[in-house]
Amino acid sequence: MSSRPFTSPVGTTRPTVPHRTASTVLALVPAAVTLGTAAALVASWRSRLPDPVAVHFGPGGADGYSALGPFVTLGLGLFAALAVAGWLVAVRWGRDAMTRRIGVGLAAGLAAFGAVLVAGVLALQRGLADAARTPDVDPVVTGAVVAGLVLGGLCAWAVPADASAPATDPGPLDGPRLPLGPQERAVWTGRVVSRVAVALGGGATLLVAALAVGLRIPGLLVLVAALAALVVTGAVVVVTVDATGLTARSPLGWPRYRIPLDEVLGARATHVRPLADFGGWGYRLGRGGRVGYVLRTGDALEVSRTGGRTFVVTVDDAATAAALLTTLAERARPLARG
Amino acid sequence: MLLRIDPGSTEPLFAQLAAQVRAAVLRGELRPGARLPTARDLAASLDVNLHTVLRAYGELRDEGLVELRRGRGAVVAAHAAGDLDPVHAAVAALVSAARARGLAPATTVGLLKDALSQQEDR
Repeated sequence: MSSRPFTSPVGTTRPTVPHRTASTVLALVPAAVTLGTAAALVASWRSRLPDPVAVHFGPGGADGYSALGPFVTLGLGLFAALAVAGWLVAVRWGRDAMTRRIGVGLAAGLAAFGAVLVAGVLALQRGLADAARTPDVDPVVTGAVVAGLVLGGLCAWAVPADASAPATDPGPLDGPRLPLGPQERAVWTGRVVSRVAVALGGGATLLVAALAVGLRIPGLLVLVAALAALVVTGAVVVVTVDATGLTARSPLGWPRYRIPLDEVLGARATHVRPLADFGGWGYRLGRGGRVGYVLRTGDALEVSRTGGRTFVVTVDDAATAAALLTTLAERARPLARG
Repeated sequence: MLLRIDPGSTEPLFAQLAAQVRAAVLRGELRPGARLPTARDLAASLDVNLHTVLRAYGELRDEGLVELRRGRGAVVAAHAAGDLDPVHAAVAALVSAARARGLAPATTVGLLKDALSQQEDR
């Protein structure tokens, strides 16, 4: 188990990022339309808005004020910058469809969230002489969250998948093998539960649910649903290596990440520290466009894939999984079969 | 865990599967509460009939090694292995004694099977 990263064969360059046009259209067009519409709406309301406008709200109503121009510029500008950052992730590191989905989803989703939030908060203040009398903003926040999730989700879903890219090298592959008879079939399965994620996520879900009921803020129920979905899909990963390749998925079956056997260039066991290597837990983008499904510190399976892609999933006994994947991938090579 | 089948073997496929899970439980590699892959997933991965896997799991359940739960698949039973330390020690002793005498593995297994069948006959 070395810490040496996979390297491209000498004399080859990393393939370019595919589907750049699609990523750009799906990330920047929704962002420009939502933020532009918000700016246009606010401009048309200008004469009917109080000065200053309310921009911050506490339990007792509005408690922070700002001039209209700086608030709109800063607010929309911030979300525009975040959208551009998401788009950059997709076109710069998006060799893997998962990377493009995350980048595009963040760009479109954050822009929609910001646009609804800024325009919605100001829409409530139309015709008011004093911004202190702004009505309850909870529906706006709920609407912004829903708009962000829906638009981000739709755009991420619309991202084109990776085209099939079978390996062209004849083998043999690097790394340890598993002795397997010519007729033998084998499957390896591993399952990792992040106790931290279950405890923290489950606790947060219950807490927000209690707040939503206790304080009668129905808008928070959206957050409860989102948190619960996050725990169920993000705290457990089931990894399978078999004749179809590698599959890493949540117990519900989604999210699911697949690597067909003919796209495997190599597999090895490695050690992962989620925070240091991926900046957090769950489905993550690591340095250099590595995609990770990382739930805990420790043993992990790292798979090098065609198209300059690398996938990492934390799982126990990764050495056996890597050996089986290498063995099966080599068996699937045309020349090895020939 | 790793599971493998050899369609070329004379041993039935369900028996091959059951034997591997049994051995993993008895060796302590599969702890009580550990989940086995669902029968459907396992059948798909190994390209065998669902009933082959269900038969293997059913056999393990009858032996008290796993519990089958609707919707949750097979889980290694709480007291599946019991205290097998004396058995593990005796097996280790048997293996080293057989090696010291230069016995082939098949011969050693044959001796063990004979001893077990004599005990059953009594």
